[in-house]
Amino acid sequence: MTISRREWLLAAACWAEVLRAQSDQLTWFDSATAAEIKAIACQIIPDDETPGADRAGVIWFIDRALAGYDQDKRELYKRGLAEMQAKRAELFPRSSSIAALTKDQQIQLLRATEKTDFFQAVRYHTILGFFGHPKYGGNRGEVGWKLIGVEYSMQYQPPFGYYDAQAAKESPK
Amino acid sequence: MSVTFRPSDTVDFVVVGVGAAGGVMAKELATAGFRVVALEHGPWRHEKDFTHDEIAVAERGQLVNDHSKQPNTFRKTPNEKAKLQPAIGYCQTVGGGSVHFTANYWRFHPEDFHERSTWGSAVPGADLRDWPITYDDLEPYYTKAEWDLGISGLAGSNPFDGPRSKPYPLPPMPVKSSGVLFDRAAKKLGLHPFPAPMAVLSQPYRGRAACVHCGFCEAFGCEMGAKSSSLMLMPAAVKTDRCEIRPSSYVRKIEVGKDGRVNGAIYFDQQKREIFQRAKAVVVCANGAETPRLLLLSKSNAFPHGLANSHGNVGKYLMFDNGGYAMGVFEHPLNDYKSVVVTRVLHDYYRADPKRGFWGGSGIDARFDWYPVAFAGRGMPTDIPQWGSEWKRTVGQYYTHTMGLLAHTSCLAVEQNSISLDDEVKDAWGLPAMRATFKNHPDDVRMLRFAAERQKEILTTAGAKKIWFDPGSLEEQTFSVHLMGTCRMGDDPATSVVNKWNRAHDVPNLFLVDGSSLVTSGRQQPTETIQALAYRTADYIQQAAKRGEI
Repeated sequence: MTISRREWLLAAACWAEVLRAQSDQLTWFDSATAAEIKAIACQIIPDDETPGADRAGVIWFIDRALAGYDQDKRELYKRGLAEMQAKRAELFPRSSSIAALTKDQQIQLLRATEKTDFFQAVRYHTILGFFGHPKYGGNRGEVGWKLIGVEYSMQYQPPFGYYDAQAAKESPK
Repeated sequence: MSVTFRPSDTVDFVVVGVGAAGGVMAKELATAGFRVVALEHGPWRHEKDFTHDEIAVAERGQLVNDHSKQPNTFRKTPNEKAKLQPAIGYCQTVGGGSVHFTANYWRFHPEDFHERSTWGSAVPGADLRDWPITYDDLEPYYTKAEWDLGISGLAGSNPFDGPRSKPYPLPPMPVKSSGVLFDRAAKKLGLHPFPAPMAVLSQPYRGRAACVHCGFCEAFGCEMGAKSSSLMLMPAAVKTDRCEIRPSSYVRKIEVGKDGRVNGAIYFDQQKREIFQRAKAVVVCANGAETPRLLLLSKSNAFPHGLANSHGNVGKYLMFDNGGYAMGVFEHPLNDYKSVVVTRVLHDYYRADPKRGFWGGSGIDARFDWYPVAFAGRGMPTDIPQWGSEWKRTVGQYYTHTMGLLAHTSCLAVEQNSISLDDEVKDAWGLPAMRATFKNHPDDVRMLRFAAERQKEILTTAGAKKIWFDPGSLEEQTFSVHLMGTCRMGDDPATSVVNKWNRAHDVPNLFLVDGSSLVTSGRQQPTETIQALAYRTADYIQQAAKRGEI
């Protein structure tokens, strides 16, 4: 397959944008808050046998979102995180932060708070940062698309899947 | 350089809203020799402006109306106080909904135009009526739309379709795995699946390249012009040198002269300056929700209750897009994220059947219209955890192995379901916000649930390992993107807003062409009917103008 000049130019412009977005520089969070939000995101999409929120750089996506287009979520993050910290202190009185909890404790805390607007906002942001376009700072190495088996090409040719390939074999045109 | 007119130039037509219908009107009227200014609230985006960015386009609604600037209020019945809440969605860009739609391109069936007579009695609580036109009246214009825009499909493959004067100009799109599974299962059940008619080019057509199956149809604009939207008609419109497309122009009022005829439109330009464009006649194509709102905003001494509203019918009989959504996961990969959304459809449950015990009908298609964020965020079965390792693994397994069945079901016209002006809430231009009042007729919900059983049968027969529904899709709807019925077509001015030529009963030089004139909802997928009405109206206007009758 050949790449046209236009496609090449588009790709080059896009890569510059991606590289800018994927620098590891916080623009909204302080580093302590970033660590807490990252700990939550990493239980929503854990790095287990495949890359999760950490490898995808979801925290950078959320940082860019709150600095940019999703500024009206800042208050929810501030209030919601404070409430989640209160719940943490109640469940684990000797703990100092969400990030410092064990994995099982983190899961327990999130189960106790998963109905809150704050958790739902972090869940949505984590999904956006994991499966969205890399130019927003997340989905690094396109790990989100790899997880679900998306090739992410600009064009495809049939057969597309197992069943249409099978049907084409059974009744070739 | 294309033609531009001054607001003080009295052009022949102002077209309000350059969407599925308005794009056709602008191009057809200009081609017929009229001078046209077409005003569109949204920008004029071209192929190079369209992307595959799910966050910007699908999640953040880059192409659609912005409720933070143009809020809606919603209530189920007129006794309630309407609450601030998005209720009406539409594409706000030159080309309108045809730019970002799924591209299902269905003709209405002949019986769609006389369902009241076929049913034989009234449906209590609804106002089911026959249209003043028949399928045969519209057939030449269905054909014209299919050939002018470039539609892919297989004539004669749907045994429930009406007669057609010409086949589709292009063969159907290649079948996807969802289509194969659906086709096999439906045939096993004795049903009649057929290749989906799609407004997407399966082969090069009139200088446009064929679809490359990128998979970003629904909610997105096509970056290579293979989707047959009315945006693709703009070059021909502009080439006439008689048509100016004026984007970022938000019309707030149609003006009426002392003679009771309309004489132009007042709109806000991008800098919120008010401009009055003079015209000999006006065609409103703003969609089934914005058209009645604009008429209601256009109060004058001659029309104190809103333009063309002497009998109080403007805004009434709003119909929504009911659609029950079933999903099934299969053993092998379908990779249905590739190519067009739909490749197989069936219309076996389309006709209303008294044996069911209620009125309604449905067309069902096999589809996959889930982009990654949407699928992970909202598309998974609700009986599994929604975050964590197990959920992550399931999302990873399901995305390429899942297909959906969407039952597009009828919506009965109910008088109190309506678009009106909110008493308190204003939009960012200071105009009264759109208020939607809507509660599904009980038969609408019965039909959704009847169709859900059929969807389950088909998915089970197809071998789905797990089946689930979008639970909200089987309940009363509170949001719609197919906007129909609010300025009904009819012979009697006491019960309808436009006549059978889409001409306002009250105002001879005012035409309303979009979903608003639809008398019944069909089985959703109204775009082809809306565009056929536009071709027909343009043809009529041309004939009437020759006789000096506009």
